[in-house]
Amino acid sequence: MTILTVALKYLRGRLVASTLTAVSITLGVSLVVASVLLARGIKEGFIAGATDYNLVVGAKSSPTQLVLSVVFRMDLATPNIQYTTYRDLQQDPRVETAVPIGIGDAYRGFRYVATNSAYFAVFPWRRKTFALAAGRFFADDPPSDPTYEALLGAEAAGSTGLQIGDRFYEGEEMAEYPLTVVGILRPTRSADDRAIFLSLSSYWGMNEVARGMAVKPLTAVLIRPKRVSDLPSLHRALNVGPETQAVLPSGVLLTIFNMMAVAEDVLKMLLVIVGIIVLLYVFVSMYSATMERRREIATMRALGARRATVLGIVLAESAALATVGGIGGIIGGHAVAYLAGSRLGSNGLVTNPFLVDVFEPAVLAGIILLGTLAGLLPAVLAYRTEVAENLVPLS
Amino acid sequence: MSVGSAVVLHEVKKAFPLRGGPDLEVLDLQHLALPAGSCTVLRGRSGSGKTTLLNIIAGVSLPTSGTIRVVETDPFSLSEARRDRFRAEQVGYVFQTFNLLSALSAVENVMLAMMFADAVPRRLQRPRASELLARLGLSERLAHKPAQLSRGEQQRVAIARALANSPPLILADEPCASLDASTASEVLAIFLAVCRQDEKTLLLVSHDEAVLGVADRVIDMAEFNRTEARKGLRMTAAVSR
Repeated sequence: MTILTVALKYLRGRLVASTLTAVSITLGVSLVVASVLLARGIKEGFIAGATDYNLVVGAKSSPTQLVLSVVFRMDLATPNIQYTTYRDLQQDPRVETAVPIGIGDAYRGFRYVATNSAYFAVFPWRRKTFALAAGRFFADDPPSDPTYEALLGAEAAGSTGLQIGDRFYEGEEMAEYPLTVVGILRPTRSADDRAIFLSLSSYWGMNEVARGMAVKPLTAVLIRPKRVSDLPSLHRALNVGPETQAVLPSGVLLTIFNMMAVAEDVLKMLLVIVGIIVLLYVFVSMYSATMERRREIATMRALGARRATVLGIVLAESAALATVGGIGGIIGGHAVAYLAGSRLGSNGLVTNPFLVDVFEPAVLAGIILLGTLAGLLPAVLAYRTEVAENLVPLS
Repeated sequence: MSVGSAVVLHEVKKAFPLRGGPDLEVLDLQHLALPAGSCTVLRGRSGSGKTTLLNIIAGVSLPTSGTIRVVETDPFSLSEARRDRFRAEQVGYVFQTFNLLSALSAVENVMLAMMFADAVPRRLQRPRASELLARLGLSERLAHKPAQLSRGEQQRVAIARALANSPPLILADEPCASLDASTASEVLAIFLAVCRQDEKTLLLVSHDEAVLGVADRVIDMAEFNRTEARKGLRMTAAVSR
């Protein structure tokens, strides 16, 4: 028999109360862990989604709206720019890669994104890679002969049930221009999972207005300069004109993060309150257990247990509760983050919620420490239990 | 000091402080010596200081004055931690209401006492606890929790626990008062037999005629405790007035 054995026996002896206390710790820790993981995942998701390209060029409007709509497809599309802007940038000696983007309507909530093969190309600087789960990429067709081929993001394919070779359209007016599924992408855990990709020619061909335009429209151009030192001059040049603006996604991220900071502060306060409630629950549980067993504590002392031993038993009990609750909470927090992440992930938010780093051991150590502290006062009461007073025979 | 005595008390007094009044004296003994291996029975009315005397000998209650030697040691000269260890190793205590730990099985309750003493190596604790319980007729009840045992069985577990560290001195506070007559005599017979067999010095509180009959010495607290004797005199005087 050891102090820990006795503590664990005591916990098993009041199984319902112990389970409820451990569950309350688990819930509290789950909430904290899930919140932290999601907040971190959302930030990382924003960074991962927005940092492959240094500039987003679009029509004059809100810079935040431009980035949110083009990169994350979370806002309404900004007005169009001219295709010539893309051509000019492609020719610009300062530009390494320029990718045209046309944001269109949606099929069953999944946004049409028109682009060319450069969007899916592999570059050394690129974090995201695209791989096919089935079929092929759509053809880079000429504007005169659109193929109306569609490449579906993983979630778009999963949710719509569309298969290779299926033809689809939304709205009677589009029945004349159905798209044919030629490929399905593997999941990228980004907004691209919810996109339906098509060529620019198909995009223009599907739009009555665009069909009649001599200079075709685009929503935006993603830019990667050859040298970072070229960035300021490109940024300035594109912002001087009356029609275009160039936005640094990193700058927009700062704005978004600043907006998130207020919510994070509120969240932190809520988490502190949750933590205090959980600690109080552990304290009340251990306090009532100690008060109930003063006679047993006195018996142990009469049998020769040192004060430090009974103190250790109560502390070991609360530490064991905190350990079980803490481990459950970390697992639960990851599960909640996974479930929430799988909903948010396809919006381009939340990176891998299964990543375990120094955070989890730190949380567990903190929970064990706080749980043990919550048991400190009951432990001191046990320590100070008067033997003779509490051994008076019960009548 | 008496040679061969397991317990010697001399001029021991115990008084409890009362809020807003004089201290309440409950014990005043001139001299008490318990020869090693003897069986001594304390009897007396409720409140006559029997349990207080046991608690002082066990070292859980500090006397107000006097000298005490238990197994050649003054327990109150030791630090509290060393006194606890001394108690665990030298004194076995059997309570009237058994005081078994409800969360532990019979064998674990016996092992618990060993945990505080380090008198039995850890790997031998379970076999020794099982052996003691078997000796007390509980070999089929090792894994049972106190709530699953009869009262007589619970008291036998408590006796095994008191014997766990092979202490030379056993204190028992009305060990059979919570049992029915037939169970009490059965438990008492086993208890006395085991203590005699192992040559324990036994000091027990009892009013059972059977116990009084087999005891080496019976101490009546009404006479032996001078506080009680003084009370008795005052009452006699009051009645005669």
